[in-house]
Amino acid sequence: MHDMGTLNRREFFNWGIRGIGATAFANLLAHDTSARAAALGQAAFPNFAPRTKRAIHISLVGGLSHIDSYDYKPGLDKAHGKPLGSSEKPDIFFGQVGLLRRSDFQFKPRGQSGLWLSDMFPHIAEMADEMTVIRSMTTDSANHTPALFFANSGFEFNGFPSVGSWVSYGLGCETESLPAFVVLSDRRGGPNGGASNWTSGFLPSQHQGVELRSGKTPVRDLFPAIEQPHGSDAAARDFLQKLNASHADRTGADAILSARMRSYELAARMQLSVPEVSDINGEPEHIRGMYGLSEGRTEDAGRRCLLARRLLERGVRFVQIYSGGPIGGSPRASWDAHENVKDNHSTEASRIDKPIAGLLRDLKQRGMLDDTLVLFTTEFGRTPFAQSKANQVGPGRDHNKYGFSCWLAGGGVKAGFSLGQTDEIGWKTVDNPVHWHDFHATVLHLMGVDHKKLTFYHNGIKRRLTNVHGHIARGIFA
Amino acid sequence: MHLRGFLTILCGLILSLLGSTGGHSFAAQDFNRDVAPLLVRHCLECHNSSDLKGELDLSQKAGVVKGGKHGAVLVAGKPSESLLLEKVSADDMPPDQPLGQAEKKVLHDWIAAGAKWGISDKLDPFQFTTFKRGGYDWWSLQPVIRPAQPAVSQSSWVVNPIDAFILAGLEVKQLKPSAPADSRALIRRLYFDLTGLPPTVEQVAAFEANPTDAAYRRVVDDLLSSPHYGERWGRHWLDLARFGESDGFERNNVRNNLWPYRDWVIRALNDDMAYDKFVRMQIAGDVLRPGDPAGQKAVGFLVAGLHNTVVGGSEFMKKTARQDELEEIIGTVGQTFVGLTVNCARCHNHKFDPIWQREYYRMTSAIAGVFHGERNVSDPELARQREALRTQIASLNEELAGIENRGRKAALAKRKQGGPSEKPEPPKPLARWEFDTGLEDSLGLLHGMAKGDARLEGGALVVDGSDAWVETTSLKSPLRAKTLEAWVQLGNLNQKGGGVIGVQSNDGKFFDSIVFAERESRRWMPGSNGLVRTKSFDSPEENEAHQQPVHIAIVYHEDGTITGYRNGVPHGKPYKTGRHDFPANSSQVIFGMRHRGGGNNFLNGKIHRAQLYDRALGPDAIAASAGVESTFVSEPALAAVLGAEEQARRRALKDQLTGLTARERELGNGSQMKVYTVAARGNPGTVRLLKRGNAMDEGEAVRPGAVAALRMLKNDFGIKQDASDNDRRRELAHWLTHPDNPLFSRVIVNRLWHHHFGTGIVETPNDFGFNGGHPSHPKLLDWLASEFAANGLRLKAMHRLMVTSNTYRQSAVPREEGLAVDAGNRLLWRKSPVRLDAESLRDAVLAVSGRLNPKMGGPGFRDVSITPNNGTTYYEPIYPQGDEFNRRTVYRFSPRGGRSAILDTFDCPDPSTTAPRRAVTTTPLQALALLNNNFILNKAEAMAKRVESAESNLDVQVKQVFLDAFQREPDAGELRLAKHLAREYGLVTLCRSLFNSNEFVILN
Repeated sequence: MHDMGTLNRREFFNWGIRGIGATAFANLLAHDTSARAAALGQAAFPNFAPRTKRAIHISLVGGLSHIDSYDYKPGLDKAHGKPLGSSEKPDIFFGQVGLLRRSDFQFKPRGQSGLWLSDMFPHIAEMADEMTVIRSMTTDSANHTPALFFANSGFEFNGFPSVGSWVSYGLGCETESLPAFVVLSDRRGGPNGGASNWTSGFLPSQHQGVELRSGKTPVRDLFPAIEQPHGSDAAARDFLQKLNASHADRTGADAILSARMRSYELAARMQLSVPEVSDINGEPEHIRGMYGLSEGRTEDAGRRCLLARRLLERGVRFVQIYSGGPIGGSPRASWDAHENVKDNHSTEASRIDKPIAGLLRDLKQRGMLDDTLVLFTTEFGRTPFAQSKANQVGPGRDHNKYGFSCWLAGGGVKAGFSLGQTDEIGWKTVDNPVHWHDFHATVLHLMGVDHKKLTFYHNGIKRRLTNVHGHIARGIFA
Repeated sequence: MHLRGFLTILCGLILSLLGSTGGHSFAAQDFNRDVAPLLVRHCLECHNSSDLKGELDLSQKAGVVKGGKHGAVLVAGKPSESLLLEKVSADDMPPDQPLGQAEKKVLHDWIAAGAKWGISDKLDPFQFTTFKRGGYDWWSLQPVIRPAQPAVSQSSWVVNPIDAFILAGLEVKQLKPSAPADSRALIRRLYFDLTGLPPTVEQVAAFEANPTDAAYRRVVDDLLSSPHYGERWGRHWLDLARFGESDGFERNNVRNNLWPYRDWVIRALNDDMAYDKFVRMQIAGDVLRPGDPAGQKAVGFLVAGLHNTVVGGSEFMKKTARQDELEEIIGTVGQTFVGLTVNCARCHNHKFDPIWQREYYRMTSAIAGVFHGERNVSDPELARQREALRTQIASLNEELAGIENRGRKAALAKRKQGGPSEKPEPPKPLARWEFDTGLEDSLGLLHGMAKGDARLEGGALVVDGSDAWVETTSLKSPLRAKTLEAWVQLGNLNQKGGGVIGVQSNDGKFFDSIVFAERESRRWMPGSNGLVRTKSFDSPEENEAHQQPVHIAIVYHEDGTITGYRNGVPHGKPYKTGRHDFPANSSQVIFGMRHRGGGNNFLNGKIHRAQLYDRALGPDAIAASAGVESTFVSEPALAAVLGAEEQARRRALKDQLTGLTARERELGNGSQMKVYTVAARGNPGTVRLLKRGNAMDEGEAVRPGAVAALRMLKNDFGIKQDASDNDRRRELAHWLTHPDNPLFSRVIVNRLWHHHFGTGIVETPNDFGFNGGHPSHPKLLDWLASEFAANGLRLKAMHRLMVTSNTYRQSAVPREEGLAVDAGNRLLWRKSPVRLDAESLRDAVLAVSGRLNPKMGGPGFRDVSITPNNGTTYYEPIYPQGDEFNRRTVYRFSPRGGRSAILDTFDCPDPSTTAPRRAVTTTPLQALALLNNNFILNKAEAMAKRVESAESNLDVQVKQVFLDAFQREPDAGELRLAKHLAREYGLVTLCRSLFNSNEFVILN
């Protein structure tokens, strides 16, 4: 069983950090970083002035083709129909290396910055001057679930804490009445690996991503699952308070006892704050329009993007939004365009393009983009050659772990900027490679956290999000 | 920066800081005794043959002679001309921790005496522990030597040697142990600790009446012989075994047959199997006991972890996935049985412990024949289980049929009494399928044929969502406009894409079908080929059809408009699209499947009745048809005549039957049972070291073996590189359990201590290496390890020793002076209070509400829905009712990512990795789960009902629920408040509150 005697006096209320350790003064300390550091028993977080306070992570499930979206390759146009011209057996998923295929989308320079972006995301392209595109991402696995786990946790396996959990563990939450890490899944289903993608792994359980669903009970067990007598909730709480008080009189005031009592007060607050934040009906029509809420195709992503903004406004630290459900099936419900990139990516993009652009605009107009980081990632890119027989130019593309693109916006990154490049046809990264560990180190750095100091001992190792790797891509900092 | 300093200091600048050099002569043994440890501890971390900082290798004579990039580092006989000494003297080296004067003198004298080497020209960098890493001299690797019991001043407190060791530690800090716990606290502590369940009121009262040492010991013996002991401590073991009943990764498929391993663990613990045998069985039971089903079950340990079933197409991906799998297994073996994180040496030598990369591959070689798989095992136990299940199913079915038949009769009688129906005449269909006695069309010739597992049951066509459907003969006339109609109940709401009734071309290429949740979850929709005529009705989510049949109709109009109806009323918005005409003779009707040839096609549910019309019905006709009841009694009608009790019982029976029939199916027929276990695949071949862990970069071949740092054991198993899987695992089992293996016994006694006292003597139970915790009581640990061996490696003897100590029997009440000196209670000046772990909490709720079903063993109960969705599997909590689901939590089906609100929030780990200790958190999500979760509220209700039915007096009722929950009566104040609460809001509210109270959740 578990030792409760070690609950430290220095631990304090912010349940986003370590669960509630209560002292009479705890409430006063909730936003005091040195107290938080003391509670963690390690380096103070943030370690230095953060460039961003919070983050939204949009994760495209299935693998976005960079050469059709964010990585313009005139060289590929020229090489269309030619063989890859390499004897290597590339580590792609199905292993079929067809002929090179030019992009099915049109690229042009955008905004003041002149970033070359395709017409796959016309609305997001209008926000080019807000974003840094990294065109030199690489990863270790060309297999969906390990690759998605890797993008989320720095490891290819189940059971490692995801970025949001690490951020929750390091920085906690700015509100007591909402969780630090919230997940918004695609209506079509969760990604491969399901809830393992937002697990807290070996970190304490309160750092797990909390899934916010639509409906009357957005958070599980927020309200009684079976109807209770009217008024009994408040009465039960009141009784509980008194019962616990008399129990503490008998057994001595251990920290765990008052921590539990406090947890019921916070639970009551969550019962108010979760429905409040989830209810987007009060949002004005023009805002709803920005997010594409009234159109069937964009309604799902629009609602979640808007929810993300509302959550962050109220102090949530990290919100993750998935684009795409499970991998298999036909028609595809994700970005996994093995059969036809044009069809699949056009459809998927039309679901999220307007909502994400709306989110960027809305954050900007509220002044939130200055200290909110928006991440737009995918587990890997797609091959410049078609997934077809060796002498054909088929319409689909396989997985590409050697090079792909992600972008970031707001929160201390350069605006209208691109980092790194792939080779002439977009096959492999050749300049400024950014591996997930580097990406994670960079994100933590933007949030004021030294990725080498954010550690948790587990079975023999002080674990980090970045394992034993991670170079900060300082070039993208504003 | 120190290297740069190295550069800047000129070699000629020689400082002779140290004293006279003359007259010393160094013998070889002095080098070994004095110089070697110094070099290893302070220099080799950076200057070794693989690292070579400054191009300097101090680990061998040749390297020292050669020097580094700044030339020679020493001149034999001339300390003052030796760069090495210069750097050391100036405290430039070692960079982090300069040497002391005595150490500097050793180096000086050694050089002065000619810098001779010892017996070997090479130093072993693992020889000694440094400030950065553990060496062969690391404490946990040394033999266990039984320490003498220490002398203490307060010797009257010592009831067994444990107390002497603890008290000695307290006395050093001038702390006194706490007073004994009061009898109620002590006995509750003991029950939860040994069995994971609360005592009954009577058990507490009996002990309180006679709280003697002898009585306490009798209770200890009773509990250790209770079968609940194995369930409780088996659960602890399953945490280590990362016991999970799905594969993890992308597919995360259900693992139906791993539960025999869980049962084996529980049984072995209850039998008090000697611990060495317990371990050998889990490593090589199938090898050591061929033909014994227990052996096959026990090695389930090796494959209880993750299994990636989608490894990709490339050679690299396949090989890497296999290496990942082996690391997962050997990592778990190393950590579980010997507290060594050998998995950290896959890519390089262990950074913190004296484990060579080569040794990692030796150990990997020992398990290289282990693959995930299933085997058929003959087990007489199986037949007994199946027989018991069948009897149970039959009796539950009989009871259910009794309730339903009574209800149907009553409903039909009521309908007759109501006189002739005023409802309009229902429209006449083209074809009708009643599914009462067969699949025939009762109006025409469109008779059905069962395919796959389709069957009739209770007046409905039952299809189970996989490979079960019905097809009819071909249409005799073409269909243009049409109406499809069915009364259907779904198996669950999370399924996707199944068809209820449809018309299709006989090859399945064209179809119109009533489909559930193909594109939008939980919504009815008109399915069609390539979704060409499919749009959303924008209808509300379906949320009842899993509990009762609903009437669904889809009308296809001549002009291409499609309209949906549910229970006789329009459902969502109609829309206009194209129309498909189905020709005669090459089209047919299909049930339970969207159409032939698609994926995710199948419906899981019951179709009570279905009709097809060769025209588009209007709303009135649909309403009339939906109102037709004939002898079909709808769910609401049935509910209207059944009492609340009967309804609840009916739901419980149905839930249970679902669970039990699934289990029966899993058990299969015949005398063979499938067991998820090690599936060997012939000789595993020679294992080679992989450079930097890269699966494509093979290095030297290695023989099966283990870690040389345990020097009392042979680290080479003495078998060939390509020995059989049997030989490899047999040798590994013997190495792990060898009586001289000091980690084997230290690690397990520490685990017992960890669970009894909340924190281990070593607080990292899976890691006895450099990064692990230091023992708070090293001598006690060794005494326990040696006592364990003396007791024949019997766990129960160790439990008895620990829980009968005075240390364990202390009060948990905090004391100021204790908190001031040792707030973390590492010295055990009191018993730390304990928050119930997730399983104990759930089990306690079951126990005190009177609902605990003590049935042991067999497939786990499933309180999750399992939804395969395009290659991945979702598990979502559900709350089925009935005894089957009131079994102890250890018998819960536990898939990876298979969430349970109560278990999750109370820190039950997802079984993805071995979990030697659980976090203990307190969060508002926990409070919400305990306040509002279906399971909790349901049991609060059960508890209240049970008490209310036995007693009508409120005073007595309130006292009784206090007694049940806390095994004590309320005091006067509590009674007053509780009565008030119960009077105003019902006894159920009081029960709900008690489950949430600190007294219920925290043990003193």
